[in-house]
Amino acid sequence: MKNLKLGAALTASAFLALSTRVVLAEDQELKVGVVAAESGSFVSAGNTIVAAAKLAAKQINDAGGIKVGGTTYTVKLYIRDNRTDVNVTIAAARELVDDVGVKAIWGTETHDFSVSMAKITGPAKVLQFSGNSSLGAVLDDKAVAPAGWLHYTFQTEPQEWQRSGSTAKGVLTLLTPLLPQAPKHSVVFVGNDATGQYLSSHYVKALEAEGQQVDLVKYPPDTTDFSPLLTRIKGMNPDVVHFWYNGDSTLTAFPQALKLAVAPAYFLFGVDPGIYAERHLKSDKPVTLSCVPVCWGASPYPAVQDYFRNYFELGAAKGPQSSVSLLYYDYFFMYAKALEEVGSLDNPDAVVDAMLKMKYQGVVSPVPLTFNPHHQVTFATEVCLVQPGTSDQFKTAVEQPPAAPPAGDPGG
Amino acid sequence: MQILIQQLVNSLSVASVTILIGIGITLIFGLAGIVNFAHGEFLMIGGMATWFLVTSGWNFFAALAAAMVLVGVLGFVVERGLFRFTLDRPMNGFIMSIGLSVILQHVVIRVFNEVQKTIPDPVGGVWVIGGVDVIAMRAVVVGLTAVVVAVTYFGISRSRYGMALRASIADPDTAALMGIPVRRYVTGVFVYGSVLAGLGGALMIALFPITPFTGSVVIIRGFAVSLIGGLGNVGGAVLGGLILGLVDGLSAEYGFPEWTDAYSLVVMIVILIVRPQGLLGGTLGPRAT
Repeated sequence: MKNLKLGAALTASAFLALSTRVVLAEDQELKVGVVAAESGSFVSAGNTIVAAAKLAAKQINDAGGIKVGGTTYTVKLYIRDNRTDVNVTIAAARELVDDVGVKAIWGTETHDFSVSMAKITGPAKVLQFSGNSSLGAVLDDKAVAPAGWLHYTFQTEPQEWQRSGSTAKGVLTLLTPLLPQAPKHSVVFVGNDATGQYLSSHYVKALEAEGQQVDLVKYPPDTTDFSPLLTRIKGMNPDVVHFWYNGDSTLTAFPQALKLAVAPAYFLFGVDPGIYAERHLKSDKPVTLSCVPVCWGASPYPAVQDYFRNYFELGAAKGPQSSVSLLYYDYFFMYAKALEEVGSLDNPDAVVDAMLKMKYQGVVSPVPLTFNPHHQVTFATEVCLVQPGTSDQFKTAVEQPPAAPPAGDPGG
Repeated sequence: MQILIQQLVNSLSVASVTILIGIGITLIFGLAGIVNFAHGEFLMIGGMATWFLVTSGWNFFAALAAAMVLVGVLGFVVERGLFRFTLDRPMNGFIMSIGLSVILQHVVIRVFNEVQKTIPDPVGGVWVIGGVDVIAMRAVVVGLTAVVVAVTYFGISRSRYGMALRASIADPDTAALMGIPVRRYVTGVFVYGSVLAGLGGALMIALFPITPFTGSVVIIRGFAVSLIGGLGNVGGAVLGGLILGLVDGLSAEYGFPEWTDAYSLVVMIVILIVRPQGLLGGTLGPRAT
């Protein structure tokens, strides 16, 4: 009987000790949610968010974690597949906020999903980092004010007029010396969905600000055979065809354009030099590429080259949107730094203030990253010229964004 | 004029891949009575298999043959393992095929990944004839489609097996009493349609990159083609494919480009209202119980 009591006491003590350890271990984790498409039609972009989050978390944890108020925390990711479905996105955000108790969420791929998620993260005072330039349409003074519904949301991609302005300038600067005369007529070829419409509305204005006469041709999303539409564009006699959005469609349409000899020069938006080389694409006409946000495969910056080496070593797939991952990576470190400065995980208002005051030297930009009062980041755009007749020889230009939106562009 | 001729050439090329998909669907839907919404995924798997083999060093045409065999085997397994049990309840089979299409997409993502796949143009070259660009690989696709159409048409309308197959559709009970193995014919039609999907996938990746989601895009046009022409009618699928190709080419040139898909579907809706049995007539599709 005595032995039985002793055994019970020992078991209870061991259970108590184990429980305490578990509680302590949980307390020392910084819970971060990631909501991204790991299935469904946005999986190509969604997987880059997950891969960037895993890499950042691994690097932070390998370096010893985050020291907040005398306690060291490791980053624990709670990754949820939104299945490219806004309802699943909302459910995932609700679970992460209410049940898991995350302090911040990274994602998602599109404007609509991110806005839906912000309606859950905002009231719960959970920080949200979303790489959608189209958030500029809603991030205004009222929305980001302390009581506003987007006070805890940060747009980790530059404003679209900034990106469009620097891209248009870079493309024309690189192409002009290679053409018999300065290009005057551009055709912008864009997918006819909400993102394509938003992005192209800014890019057309940016090209017009550079003196171009612009025709906009929209194609139905999911188009595979572009030959009829490209034939129409060829009949317009453009100097440059700009394949504006998105990378997968561009990589489908561009080889068809080359075979049909549609234009004397091309620009491919959202196509990394790395994937251009992997596909062994080759053109005797000048081709420019821009990346979202920097160029995997041609960036002149060692930090970017190191990033992509680590990114792919961790098992990420090489796709046209691999560089999109850099819309999410740096902000893990910014957030960690803000938490360290605030000294608490439980003061999200102070963390927002710290983020807004911070200058952080990240991978995505050679100059320190900052957020403007509308919680939007600003950095330059890399544009590359593929040397004609090659697949892997690139010349890169880094274009700073313009100071103000061009005429007719409402900004945002 | 040159642009118009170019658009007509484009239309023929657009029509070819659509016809290949449409023939498979029209046979399986119209003759075997199975509404297989995963047919597009069969095509995608044919394309993925071709990509895998070509990037592993195979000759494109050998890879094409292997993809046809692989998708044919897949069709056999799926028909025997799944659709056989829903022949009396076509709606169950239809819903099951939607589930199957999602499963196949995610199996491919798991085995390979989600990234778009492409192969080098196996033929290469562009012929310029009177200022009109004729892409060599597209000409090959048009030629192969013509061969498939001829073989399928004569196989169904002239051969002994075709006659038995048509008898099985017209009156399965009497056909069975006459010694025709009706169930085996259903399997045969399903496998043949699947082989054509494999061929379509192999030819498609020779023209365009494909992703695990390509099938869900092409399947709509495949069903449109088979319904426009008349279920189970090979000539109807050809006519339907040519009409959609022509609508695509001409609407891209003279209409609102972003509405290209919509024009095709409007044509389908109008035809189905005016001629519910399709332009050339056909079977009534799966029998409801």
